[in-house]
Amino acid sequence: MAAKVLIVEDDSSILIPLTFLLEQNGYEVSTAADGEEALAAVARSAPDLVLLDIMMPRLDGYAVCQAIRENPEWGGIKIVLLSAKAGEMDVAKGMALGADAFISKPFANAEITATVQRLLTGPA
Amino acid sequence: MRIRNRFWWFVLLGVLTIILIMGVLAWFFWLQLAPAERSLLLNILGHNFIYVFTVGVLLLAGLGFAADGVFHVYILPLSKLVEEVTLIATVNPSHRIAMQGSREVDRLVAIINESADRVEALQGRVEERIRLARAEAETEKNILAAFMADLPEGVLICNTDGRILFFNNRAREYLSHNRLSGASTPSGADPFMGLGRSIFTVIDKNLIVHALDEIAEKLNSGETSAAAYFVAVGEGDRLLQVEAVPVLNNRRDFNGFILICKDITAQLEVDSRVNALFKSLVQKVRGSLGGIRSAVEAMIAYPQMAAKHSERFKAIIHEEALRIGELLAESQEAYSRQVLTRWPLVHMPACDLIEAVGRKAETKLGLKLVIYGCEEDIWLRVDSYSIVLAVLFLLERLKTHLGLRDFNCCIERRGHFVCLDLRWIGKPVKLETLRQWEDEELSVAGEAIPLSLREVVGHHDAEIWSNASRRLKNTAYLRLFFPSCTSEAACNIRSITILPESRPEFYDFDLFNQPGQSPDLDDRPLTELTYTVFDTETTGLDPRGGDRIISIGAVRIVNLRLRQEDFFDQLVDPHRPLPPESVEIHGIQPEMLEGQPPIATVLPLFQRYTEETILVAHNAAFDMLMLQLAEAETGIRFINPVLDTLLLSSVVHPSQGRHDMESISQRLGISVVGRHTALGDAIATAEIFLKLIPLLAKQGIYTLRDAREASRKSYYARIRY
Repeated sequence: MAAKVLIVEDDSSILIPLTFLLEQNGYEVSTAADGEEALAAVARSAPDLVLLDIMMPRLDGYAVCQAIRENPEWGGIKIVLLSAKAGEMDVAKGMALGADAFISKPFANAEITATVQRLLTGPA
Repeated sequence: MRIRNRFWWFVLLGVLTIILIMGVLAWFFWLQLAPAERSLLLNILGHNFIYVFTVGVLLLAGLGFAADGVFHVYILPLSKLVEEVTLIATVNPSHRIAMQGSREVDRLVAIINESADRVEALQGRVEERIRLARAEAETEKNILAAFMADLPEGVLICNTDGRILFFNNRAREYLSHNRLSGASTPSGADPFMGLGRSIFTVIDKNLIVHALDEIAEKLNSGETSAAAYFVAVGEGDRLLQVEAVPVLNNRRDFNGFILICKDITAQLEVDSRVNALFKSLVQKVRGSLGGIRSAVEAMIAYPQMAAKHSERFKAIIHEEALRIGELLAESQEAYSRQVLTRWPLVHMPACDLIEAVGRKAETKLGLKLVIYGCEEDIWLRVDSYSIVLAVLFLLERLKTHLGLRDFNCCIERRGHFVCLDLRWIGKPVKLETLRQWEDEELSVAGEAIPLSLREVVGHHDAEIWSNASRRLKNTAYLRLFFPSCTSEAACNIRSITILPESRPEFYDFDLFNQPGQSPDLDDRPLTELTYTVFDTETTGLDPRGGDRIISIGAVRIVNLRLRQEDFFDQLVDPHRPLPPESVEIHGIQPEMLEGQPPIATVLPLFQRYTEETILVAHNAAFDMLMLQLAEAETGIRFINPVLDTLLLSSVVHPSQGRHDMESISQRLGISVVGRHTALGDAIATAEIFLKLIPLLAKQGIYTLRDAREASRKSYYARIRY
């Protein structure tokens, strides 16, 4: 059974290629355009992994990350933060809030697929 | 004991001794006589007692008159002579002795006056030569001092105790605090910023101590650069970046420190805006590049993807590439705006600007520029060099383009704007041509700056166009349209540096050797102490009868120099009527006191002004009583040691009958200006005190303790109010 990935990204220029990429790699992909939509999607059907943009309207990626980690039922969900904010402080903050990986924009598609695969299948 | 008393004691003792000797002789004579002779002698004396008694009384009276004559003709003149010669030899070489005595005393006086004339003339010549020799060195010092005074940074130099030895105008501007609000602002210089004062009253002590610790650490570890930095809040909430630099002596011991203050309020604002701009740009570009890269890599990885995907990805790449372009253009413009704000503009009168253009146009371009309609109160905010160059550039282009040599120039205000028009007889320049000129770099007759006319005009928030005049027939103009500004806003213009004739009085590096203020001031030499010399004007002369303070004036003496620039001058509303007879003395009219602060507001400030100084006043008992009576109302108590010039004068010149300020001033050769104003009297008292210090030293009075003891013993100390 294909693993479920939720992509949360308000910029369609990134959302579309990412969706295509992960679908091509055999994942079951759903999308959300902002933080609140993302939490609603997780509540509806918990994904195995969330690709989460940080800078979004209404609720940002950090807040979504924190909300997911505060709910013990969602403890198994892997979170990958995606951000154009790529300073050390941003990475440290994301990891402290419970993210499993941090990928800065612009990213290589191979980095996305490798990270998603690594997190979903566990360390080789 | 006064000399008159001493003399009469001497005479009395002399007379008693003579009587005693005569008595003893008479007794021996009496013992030699036979009883019959004794009886005969008693009979003779008994019959002639009246004659014997009269001769005795006359003899004593004659002796008394003779002694009084000797006292007035020889003793008193000699005693006065000592004081007057000391005056001539010490503080007042122009003083001459005018007294009557015996012929010998008169001759002595004439010889002393003659010698004093010769010595004074000689001294004058020597002083003139010294003055000339010093003048050269002083000029160099003054250039340095004037330069320091007008540095864009505030500079303060302090000794190891944090006493201020030097500060420049900018430091005063950055760190001085308003003392009273409202219309009653005192006309005095700021009392919390002055030579010899503690830096800790204007900058938080913890900040400085921390910086000094850091410096000490660096010095110990042998670092060559041992500066420390901190940010302090200055006047008007401005943020000051302060650089603390140590001053070491030749043995590398810590001898003081320099504080260099820079106002970074505006700089911080620009920096934070530029920083935010940069962050935003990077984040947005990263986002767009993320989309492009992901789409491109997907297209490369899946070349066989469906056409709908492929088309969508191409569209993404195109859109994001355009977005990056727009982002870069926006950011570049915003960045230029921020950077340009660092290009300083200053306020100047428009007439000055256009007159500079007129002069240069004539000498550099051979053009005649007739200026008219320039109102003096029109001010512009400009970088004068670039804007003058811009106008010259336009004139040169007009000259070439139109073949004209005569132009008129007019400056006038239109609402919030100022028009600077260059006018000529003929047709206007086409806007297309003007646009071409705007893109050219500013270069005129050998002078150039690497900016285009458009950039310079834009930086001044100005606009430029050319048109035909509607009012004047056959006349065209080229107009520079500036935002106007008020002359009030121009107060920050740096003042012209004028080298003073004498060394500016706001620094005294001798204070480096000043020991720290300790609770036990008594053993400190008078020459080393810091004094607040003050005077009060009052509603009358009866403090206990309800008279109150209406004015306090004070100046400071630091290192034996009168600091007239560091003064305190404040009128006080006494909240009671002002008797007309007191107005005649001090000249302060009742209406001058309306709206002035009450004593409860003024006294805390005056106490801060006097902090850690010795109080000096003429007839200090009166002024101190006035301050004491205000204690109940204000809760302010002056615990500073006090010296009184009236008492000190009587210590120095016990033979002189008068010790009022006029008499002392005359004796010491001080010309008094502005008497019977609190500040005027305080200054006069300070000058008197400065002259008294060397005279006190001649009597072995060196320390504060000596001066207080001598004052206490002085005859005038018995006066009590």
